[in-house]
Amino acid sequence: MTRRRWRAIATNAAVAAATLLTAAPLLWMVLVSFMPRGESSRFPPRLWPSRWSWENYHELLARRLIDGAWFDYRIVPALWNSLAVAGLSTLLGLLLTVPAGYAFAKLRFRGRERLLQLLVGALVVPGQVAMLPLFLIFKELGLVNSYAGVILPSLAGIFAILFVRQAALSIPDEMLDAARLDGASERRIFAQIVLPLLAPITVTLALFMFLGSWNDFLWPLIVLADQHLYTLPVAVAAISREHAADGELMMAAAVVTTLPVLILFVPLQRYYISGLLGGSVKG
Amino acid sequence: MSYEGDYSPMLMPAFTRATGLRVEVQSLPWTAAHEKLLTAQAGDSLPDVLMLPDGWVGEFAMIGALAPVTDATLLGGLFPGVAAVVGADGQPYAVPWSVAPQVQYYRRDLLDRAGYAAPPEDWDSWRRMGQRLKGRAPDNFAFLMLLNWWDTLFTFAGQTGAGPLRERDTRGNFRDPRFREALAFYVSLFREGLAPPALSTEVQDPVAAFAQGYFAVYPYGPTLTLDLHRRAAEIPPALWSTARMPGPHGPGRVSGIAASLCVSARSRRPAAAWALVRHLTSSASELTYQRLIGTLPANAAAWETPQLRQPALRAFAEQMRDPTREPMIVEWERIRIEVQLIAERVVRGQLGIDAALVAMDDRVDRLLAKRRALVETARLA
Amino acid sequence: MTRQERTAWGFVLPVLAIILFVFALPTVLALALSVTDYSIYALADWGALRFVGLGNFTDLLTTPLFWRALGNTALFALLGVPMAVGTSLAAALLLHDASVRWKPLWRVLLFAPYVTSVVATAVVWRFLLNTRFGLLNHALGWVGVPPVDWLGDPHASIPAILLFVTWKIFGYNMIVFTAALSAVPHDLMEAARLDGASRWTRFRHVTLPAIGPTLLLAAVMSVAGFLQIFAEPYVMTLGGPAQSTTTVLYFMFDEGFKWWNLGQASAVAFILFLMILALTLVQARIGRRYEWL
Repeated sequence: MTRRRWRAIATNAAVAAATLLTAAPLLWMVLVSFMPRGESSRFPPRLWPSRWSWENYHELLARRLIDGAWFDYRIVPALWNSLAVAGLSTLLGLLLTVPAGYAFAKLRFRGRERLLQLLVGALVVPGQVAMLPLFLIFKELGLVNSYAGVILPSLAGIFAILFVRQAALSIPDEMLDAARLDGASERRIFAQIVLPLLAPITVTLALFMFLGSWNDFLWPLIVLADQHLYTLPVAVAAISREHAADGELMMAAAVVTTLPVLILFVPLQRYYISGLLGGSVKG
Repeated sequence: MSYEGDYSPMLMPAFTRATGLRVEVQSLPWTAAHEKLLTAQAGDSLPDVLMLPDGWVGEFAMIGALAPVTDATLLGGLFPGVAAVVGADGQPYAVPWSVAPQVQYYRRDLLDRAGYAAPPEDWDSWRRMGQRLKGRAPDNFAFLMLLNWWDTLFTFAGQTGAGPLRERDTRGNFRDPRFREALAFYVSLFREGLAPPALSTEVQDPVAAFAQGYFAVYPYGPTLTLDLHRRAAEIPPALWSTARMPGPHGPGRVSGIAASLCVSARSRRPAAAWALVRHLTSSASELTYQRLIGTLPANAAAWETPQLRQPALRAFAEQMRDPTREPMIVEWERIRIEVQLIAERVVRGQLGIDAALVAMDDRVDRLLAKRRALVETARLA
Repeated sequence: MTRQERTAWGFVLPVLAIILFVFALPTVLALALSVTDYSIYALADWGALRFVGLGNFTDLLTTPLFWRALGNTALFALLGVPMAVGTSLAAALLLHDASVRWKPLWRVLLFAPYVTSVVATAVVWRFLLNTRFGLLNHALGWVGVPPVDWLGDPHASIPAILLFVTWKIFGYNMIVFTAALSAVPHDLMEAARLDGASRWTRFRHVTLPAIGPTLLLAAVMSVAGFLQIFAEPYVMTLGGPAQSTTTVLYFMFDEGFKWWNLGQASAVAFILFLMILALTLVQARIGRRYEWL
């Protein structure tokens, strides 16, 4: 009996230690962001700020007037840009893919199976292949350096369609047919019967889309030239190349970039994780 | 870009007061600037006025991004040795703005203790000084030359008089014995442990490291003076000074990263753009800039003022009169980077010097294949 | 056309149009680009564009840096997959133990790095890995290990980036594995226990066969993930030192968007595509074998 208890204690301690180790980089990021300038590049390294200071956040976020000229790192605008881009691409992505996923699952139309096969096959092609020509196309259409240019590619949600389809397959046909017999239009059936049933999966999908768009780096880096339009990761990558020396400042920037995601993720993690399992187990 | 970009907003209020035009400034990190500007050109979103290092002007002129300088008065009164970059068609495309030749910053106290009042000016003595510095402080280094930057290697090469390209800039010329000499010297500094084989991503704060004596000599451009003054608490001005870069047998020609101002060919406000260029390249603006960030004026008149007679600037002024001329071709930026990558492999012992020179010529010939084809069919001058 | 069919097309057409426009069309065009010498000269003047057939591909095969990028990418996958999948499995086994309390809490915390931005956390890790001031070397110092030049030594740079990547992604497969573990038949486990099988024997003969397919699939999918590494070296090392962290995708980005050799870069993209296609075939094979997909 006692041996078993010891084992339980040891296992719990191991889990706690592993978690601490995993969380340490994030904790350290927060601690350093509150250190006074230069404190992180001392030897031996410090773990705790000698004095808690907001100066890094102030320097990073506030627009300051120096010698009659405005000066800032454009992090706050980038934060709004990221919110707008992620919000819009999530919203539009849902509008486009949820009905489509349902249609592929439950509505009969000619060519459905062939289209579905094509979509599954297309999953194999990595997005990077399309990137180079896509840039040239967008250049011709004047979409380079615009939000539309960032958002459009994220709307081609093949995975999302298949994800919704998978969930919609479990809706019983009898329910839909009963509504049809009652004379409900197809659109009404979708809005009043199907959507409520798909609500949890929609939340999951929205979370996937929002986080994916928020953290996306390569494409915004390529397509955005104007600093007004930079999203947070692009802006942070830019200042990290120039201000690599300012550890405390960079940590503040990292906190600003990761915090919104964690705030969103923690309360909704149940949806995220269930979605992750649904997606991976069913392929 | 870099400090030039971060601080140029401060030159704008005077312009706005005089013309009523508001100017918006964007700053790019050096290591990403080239691709960002090309993307902007492709996406038709270049700013009206842009700062380019001289090495890029030919490239951007060729792809039609820049408007030629038609007003000759903009190009008058330049410092001797400074000249406007001319495109393949013989027209000037940029107005010289600031010059940043490489010089060496050195720790006076550390050199003093090793028995030197100032760094020697020829390679052999310079290396010997390095050995003595290293001997006194084995944990530290004599020189800092970041391995992912090509400037010091090309400084050494320029001083031997080696021309990097041949046959109308269509082939590499790195097997030239003079380039070999420069590369061998460069590599020897690392091999003997006089310089750390470090990248810019590793030495996160070179000024702090310089202040702590991690290295005694740092070849760099003028903007470092600003950092050093700003952090005088860590490293008092009495502890450092500047000197010209050593050459094989005494100082010689050095390529400076000179920055020029250009106007976008598709600017919708060309008149205002040129007015801004005129404002920024005026003596007054260049002097303000020198005071703010340490870059050196391209304008001869600015050099007449007391502000530029400080002793720490003498090395720069001398060096500026003696610049190397660089090939004005599209591929030049990439050639320097790739040559430096090969040099890095030599430093790390992955490649011998002669094999490296062959690899450089080979690589550069490939990079120039398209240009060669165009030159041979007379589609390119 | 029936009413249902009309509605269906209304539902699927918008998204199909977008997929066609931003995905299918560019993919076909990429194939076309890869047989031209589209370069910065063509950006200036379309007249400079030529058809080069398979020239870009043969060129790539004689470019040492491309081979180095391939080698680096392979090394990332070869070292990274056991590292990441192993960590995930260890964490999942630990978390699965019946005696562990507050499971949801641990699970969220262990998973959290996965949802953070690569760029932001890469910046953090660049500091953790600093040779002189980094916490990692400091911690190693306590156990007597001399400082490692993580991001500066060409032999240490890939392991350094892998440490970061493992930290960031292990939570994903951990979740997948915990689900698989809870599907391991209980009675079988109980029977083995009653037979007096040791902990290791039970793992080896009951657990492992049960989660084997999941493990294999996760490994294959991780390979595909490692083939597409880009942001990590872009933020942490710029592909250095001595190009030891230049990956295929990094090479493509440099060639395409830095130097504007879109022809050559498209060829790289296609080679990447072929590699991923090959992997997917392997994955499908595994899936069929275990009657999954």
